[in-house]
Amino acid sequence: MASFYRKWRSKLEFGIFTLPVLICVAVAFYIPFVMTVRYSLTKWNGISKHPKFIGLDNFRQIFTGDANFTNAAWFTVKYAVLYIVLINVLAILLALVLDAKLKSKTWLRAAFFIPYILSLVIVGFIWKFIFMQGFESLGHSTGWHIFKMSWLGEPGLAFISVLFVSIWQSIGFYLVIYVAGLQSVPGDLKEAAVVDGAGPVRRFFSVTLPLLAPSITIAVFMALTNSIKVFDVILSLTGGGPGGTTYSVAYDIYRDTFTNNLYGYGTAKALILFVAVLIITVIQLSIFKRREVEA
Amino acid sequence: MSASNRAARWIGEAVMIILSLAFLYPLFLAIINSFKSFQEVMSDVIALPNHWTFGNYAYVWDFINYPRLFLNNTVITVLGLAGIVLVSSIAAYKLARTKSRLSGIVYFICIMPMLIPFQSIMLTVLKTARFLHLSDSTWGLGLLYWGFGAPLAVFIYHGFVKGIPKELDESAMIDGASGFGLFFRIIFPLLKSVTATIVIIDVMWIWNDFLLPLLMVNGSPTTKTLTLAAYTFVGQYTSDWQYAMTAMVMAVLPSIVVFMFLQKYIVKGVVAGAVKG
Repeated sequence: MASFYRKWRSKLEFGIFTLPVLICVAVAFYIPFVMTVRYSLTKWNGISKHPKFIGLDNFRQIFTGDANFTNAAWFTVKYAVLYIVLINVLAILLALVLDAKLKSKTWLRAAFFIPYILSLVIVGFIWKFIFMQGFESLGHSTGWHIFKMSWLGEPGLAFISVLFVSIWQSIGFYLVIYVAGLQSVPGDLKEAAVVDGAGPVRRFFSVTLPLLAPSITIAVFMALTNSIKVFDVILSLTGGGPGGTTYSVAYDIYRDTFTNNLYGYGTAKALILFVAVLIITVIQLSIFKRREVEA
Repeated sequence: MSASNRAARWIGEAVMIILSLAFLYPLFLAIINSFKSFQEVMSDVIALPNHWTFGNYAYVWDFINYPRLFLNNTVITVLGLAGIVLVSSIAAYKLARTKSRLSGIVYFICIMPMLIPFQSIMLTVLKTARFLHLSDSTWGLGLLYWGFGAPLAVFIYHGFVKGIPKELDESAMIDGASGFGLFFRIIFPLLKSVTATIVIIDVMWIWNDFLLPLLMVNGSPTTKTLTLAAYTFVGQYTSDWQYAMTAMVMAVLPSIVVFMFLQKYIVKGVVAGAVKG
């Protein structure tokens, strides 16, 4: 009898401890997710009472005849690849410099980290101001051609601007990850390499970089998850322009749902984004798992 | 150290400092232009103001009702954070201590949403929130963050609790403690460092968040957040850059001030969060 009582008591306690979080994630994720799946099979403008069930028509249309989506997907892929590569290379380089026992290390780390604590939307607006007004003044006083280009007005340049501003905002985050990673590289290993006559470049590629692998794993993972979802900075910096060339997938979904009132169609795209993120994450996790086993 | 080596070091130091100043130059420009008149902004962006004026600040302060927005941000962040820490820590503790199939499934349900991009569910989150009467209120938004913040927090807490010896629970139980008493008196204090990490990551996220507040509380000027107000403000004053930059500076100033004081802890917390998450 006592053990029966104890068993029920511990079951009850399990319920009391976990139920709140289950309710919270259900409201934030699971209920909306089920609704997303349901709406993705309908044609609905958000006004009529009953969404019309149309099966997989939304998906058929997205994959066969939606230039907006194709362009947005292409933009996002290009952006993600360049973002991941550039931010990691730049952050590693900066981290190496900061690791070289500079006196101004604390200041430098803080300086590069500051944009990361700011809202992306606001960062986008500040840079819009710099590109539109600031560059004009800088062009006048320096005469440099680079300041006279239309950084938000030409498709190719606008892409670079979005990429550049994103990197500017978040490089501090990757920098501190790599600085922490470098601090865990044992100093005697580097000294041993010096004794063996390895130059700085050789030392970096044969000693530092392999030992930095765990940090790289984390940083690439974060860069990937953040870049596929890029949204805020585009909204405030280019608004998708010029000529709709800087729409990301996330922003395209936002446009269809909230600007064009294509609720059913927009949620179908949203579901595709989810599946894409899921596949990429699973692939990435399995690659990292395998690598960690080898190491 | 040889003389040439020392010279190289000084040059490297100088180059890096110049680079970091150039890096922050856009923020500097935003700040100095918030002290200029419209004509001054238009004639030269990079020059320092001829007459430093606080007029822009007074104007924007009243126009967006800054104290109100600051209060909104604080309410949303504090409420959201308190809930995330409380709800996630008790659940993660129980899940880490219970070895059963059900426990494994519940843990999976808790952390799985980390894979769902917010944009995939933004419309239906809004509908759910409206149904529950959580939309158009700062309290409702704060409550919603409990769910959005839970997966990462449960994940981090879970990993940490596993490292706390179970004997601690058992000896506390012999002393008569159980349930919430045991958790809050014995376990929760041990989670201090990891709670600090979660607080830091989540404050930065909730304070600056844009899309969820845009959908949830943008309807009325009394429920807006600082970032939303800055966003709407720029929409209304497309060419009045002096006001726009003032609004930007006022929106980011709290973050920068906090960062200056807690820099060490913030950087540490962000690194810890990334490494564990």
